[in-house]
Amino acid sequence: MATPSATATVTATTTAAGKPAFEFPREYHFPPFFTRQVNSTTRHSQLEKWSSLILAYCAHHRLFRLSLSGSSSGATEELFHNRALGRRLGLADAREVLEFMRREGRAEWVSGGSGGSGSGDGGGDGGGDVVWVYWKTPEEWARELEGWVDATGQKNAVLTLYELTEGETTLGTEFHGLDPDLLQKALQVLVKRGKAQVFGQEDQRGVKFF
Amino acid sequence: MFLKQIDLTTALRPSYLPDEVLLFVEDNVGLYEGKYKLPNLQNGQVYLTSHRICYVDKQDPRKHSVALDLRDVERYEFYAGFIKSSPKVTLFPKPAKRASLQSRAAAATSTPLSNGSGSPRPRADSGFRSPAPASSPATSATWVCTICSFPNPVPSNFDPTTANVHTPLPPCLACGIKPALTHVLKATISNATNRPASNSASNVRAPTPLRPQSDDTGLVLDIPTGPSTAVVNPETGFQCPRCTFLNHPSLLSCEICGGPLISQEAPPQASQEGPRTDSPGPTLNYGSVTGLENPDSVKISFRGGHGGDKIFYERLKGSMTQRKWLLQEAPPVPKSNRMGDETSGSLSRSGSGTGRTRTAGIAGLEKMGLDRRKNNELVIGSSFEDLEALMASAKDIVALAESFARQVNGGADSATAEANALLAESASQLGLVTTKDIVGGGSGSGAESLYLSELARNLAEFLTDDARGVLKKAGGIVSLVDLWAMFNRARGGVELVSPNDFEKAARLWEKLKLPVRLRTFKSGVMVVQSRDRTDETTIKGLLVWLRDLHDIPPDREVSWDWQEFGRGVTAQDTAERFGWSIGVAEEELEMAEERGVLCREDGIEGLRFWENYIDTGEHRHRSRQGTEADKIIEALNASGLL
Repeated sequence: MATPSATATVTATTTAAGKPAFEFPREYHFPPFFTRQVNSTTRHSQLEKWSSLILAYCAHHRLFRLSLSGSSSGATEELFHNRALGRRLGLADAREVLEFMRREGRAEWVSGGSGGSGSGDGGGDGGGDVVWVYWKTPEEWARELEGWVDATGQKNAVLTLYELTEGETTLGTEFHGLDPDLLQKALQVLVKRGKAQVFGQEDQRGVKFF
Repeated sequence: MFLKQIDLTTALRPSYLPDEVLLFVEDNVGLYEGKYKLPNLQNGQVYLTSHRICYVDKQDPRKHSVALDLRDVERYEFYAGFIKSSPKVTLFPKPAKRASLQSRAAAATSTPLSNGSGSPRPRADSGFRSPAPASSPATSATWVCTICSFPNPVPSNFDPTTANVHTPLPPCLACGIKPALTHVLKATISNATNRPASNSASNVRAPTPLRPQSDDTGLVLDIPTGPSTAVVNPETGFQCPRCTFLNHPSLLSCEICGGPLISQEAPPQASQEGPRTDSPGPTLNYGSVTGLENPDSVKISFRGGHGGDKIFYERLKGSMTQRKWLLQEAPPVPKSNRMGDETSGSLSRSGSGTGRTRTAGIAGLEKMGLDRRKNNELVIGSSFEDLEALMASAKDIVALAESFARQVNGGADSATAEANALLAESASQLGLVTTKDIVGGGSGSGAESLYLSELARNLAEFLTDDARGVLKKAGGIVSLVDLWAMFNRARGGVELVSPNDFEKAARLWEKLKLPVRLRTFKSGVMVVQSRDRTDETTIKGLLVWLRDLHDIPPDREVSWDWQEFGRGVTAQDTAERFGWSIGVAEEELEMAEERGVLCREDGIEGLRFWENYIDTGEHRHRSRQGTEADKIIEALNASGLL
């Protein structure tokens, strides 16, 4: 069912060649799941199920951001459009789901210009079409990084950001292949805590862990 | 038995006999047998119909509701009420065949001759009656001695219908000369005819300090036994209406002339503060009311205090005069052969086989019409030939008139012919309609509520009537507006119910514990359904149906796993399945959705409803916590802490 995810996203980072296909939950095959429910209880449940579906899907395919507009992109296509069923979650409804996720702290609108192709004018529920999907929040990523630094004894060592996400030393860790912008966010968390220091320019950034 | 236990309809109204018509309803009444209150029959509604008087108890209607047939009523009297005593209507039963001679004689004098039957009333010898035979019967009948012109009372055992020359007559109390029989007879008769109804049986027995008006037992005051209940009343004298002597207030008959004393200063109608449900009178300790063999009389006491008693009396008078119950036994109209076989054969539809020439097409129809008209003419003509024939054929004439009315109603619109037929039928079945003037009491608020509650019962009957099946045909649920239209049409264009009254009456169902209920959907649409059909049963029905769809393959290929999810249903499907109207089906589906049982799918094929597989409950707990947290945050925001 899953289409090759390499073509899926704006920032396709996975190498999902040999991965098993994503298994959609039961609701995904239930036609009313794609209609906005009016009963508030059902609606809440629907939003939660969509939220967990999106998180699981993104985690499976290691997608860090999701673009709503330009439906050509395969990820949202497959996620929001069940071809077999002939049902599609409307753009407005999808946006509402993401807004729900944002309130739960599981998504964030990509502010304009900071990355991606988003025409987004900033956070909030407005026109932003690209969204960070936090199947791990920046804090969680920061904890991962910190744990890895601790485990490998790299305190006080200086690493480039590229090394962190693409280097051979991080192969097999969760954050291998992490989106650079998301990595920045995670590092900012550590900087705020005084656990790291980021320096350098543009592409040549480095980080020092304390 | 005079009083019979009766069946009640689902709406707790008496179920009517064929052709029976409701004439009047009054609430807050109690029943007496003789002067004794009947237990358990002290607070209820009385229904006067063309055939019966029914009492329906308020507390336990199923158990304590009785009726008496008007055909068993020999005589009825009206008593206007007196200070604390409520107005009453007294009904005297026709005598049973085994009434004893002795009681016959005793009761005779008060039997008015004007009713023509001349048959004496029976008197029950039951033990609860006042023990002495000297039960002080009172009558104002007197004969004036021809010798000394002293007014003597007519002896209590004097029966003008049975009296003959051998009947012993007491001599004049003053001069001792025996009167002539004819003289006494005349006096009795003139007394019986002149006597106004209200103070007719004015006699005294109850130990009330006031001058009692009547106890309506039909027992007559025996004047010689005189003032048996000497209650001292410190008021001034009591003027005799005949000789104007001022008697002691406790006396019952005039000291000088022996005439009965009737209170003059008493107001004609007792002034009452309001309706009361109990009266100070003694209660009869008697097991079952219906077991009463031939009570002397049955009194209906009107405690409502808004004048329903008078109307009741008037209508009772009317129906006693009309004697509608005789119609039941009326023979069918004799079929006249004067117009030949052909004519008479065509009226009876079954008579098709006999040598009638069959004509097809329009000519045949015209011929049929002609025949029918001829026959009708014949029936009408022969009926009006003389009065006797009219009486004999009364039933057929009524049927004919009804069929005319039906033709007039049903002629116009062929599409609704069936509906019209149904309505015409039901209109006649609806003879028991509640109208504002049937219900007692004029224009008080009490009358208004009685009217509404009667209307509510009437409606409930209309709805639950199995023969008509109004609710059943509509799948057990019908919108209030539809019902209003149907009900008013069934009333045949007279005594229409205003929408306002209709709604008010419908709202009373709940209170009156009737088997139907009014339900308001969240869209504001009001519907009527039977009480046993709650939201839960509706939902259950819907779910059973939807689960069945898991096993029934859909008509065409579907993209989802129908064995797991079943399929979605539209309001149309639901309406078809349950026999509801589409509006009702929509409302019911939305109600089920509101309760989280169904969920919706808004697709190109329209709105469909599915079993709710979205909210299967596992998130509920978490979501509740979430909302609580939200609430706290909101509260904090509101208080400015955040």
